[in-house]
Amino acid sequence: MKLQEKLSALKKDFEAKAAKNVIEIMHRATEDLKDSGIVERAVKVGDKAPDFFLKDESGREISLKGLLSQRPIVLSFYRGIW
Amino acid sequence: MLQAISPQQQIHNRQLIENKKLTFHILSDPGNEVAKRYGIRYKLPDDLREVYTSFGIKLHEYNGDYSWTLPLPTRLIIDQDGIVRYAAINADYTVRPDPEETIEALKRVMGQ
Repeated sequence: MKLQEKLSALKKDFEAKAAKNVIEIMHRATEDLKDSGIVERAVKVGDKAPDFFLKDESGREISLKGLLSQRPIVLSFYRGIW
Repeated sequence: MLQAISPQQQIHNRQLIENKKLTFHILSDPGNEVAKRYGIRYKLPDDLREVYTSFGIKLHEYNGDYSWTLPLPTRLIIDQDGIVRYAAINADYTVRPDPEETIEALKRVMGQ
């Protein structure tokens, strides 16, 4: 199964059990975010990626510049384990 | 190579890597400050915050701050000049591009 099919199945399963007002709040938040224009203002193809300096899970400090010295990277922003 | 980045604190990133036996590293982005500079940080509305709290999701404990901000799920390819060559960003967090799409895009960037 493709990733999106799995995600859509999870969503369907969740919404079958969740309270109606909860689903409404979640849907509205997503719609508001779409309407806010955030995606249109976000970083896009052709932009210079802002450099950063952050710690990994072991406390090692990593910079974008350092990562790119070897090869191109796929950078994935992830919300969390919860 | 794949580099993940998350607002959650180091310990949660470490747990995730151990539990899922991940072979890549995850950076902590406190307060989503880097996400902000990429234009993908947003604040959760109050009612959604209450919903998350009712689910037992204590975002402040995961992230170590009370900003109630998150990054839009975002996948970028950045080339060695630091230029974004691929950007998959969706305001709907339940929609994600297929990994195959990103791999194909990466092959195009690497092939040049």
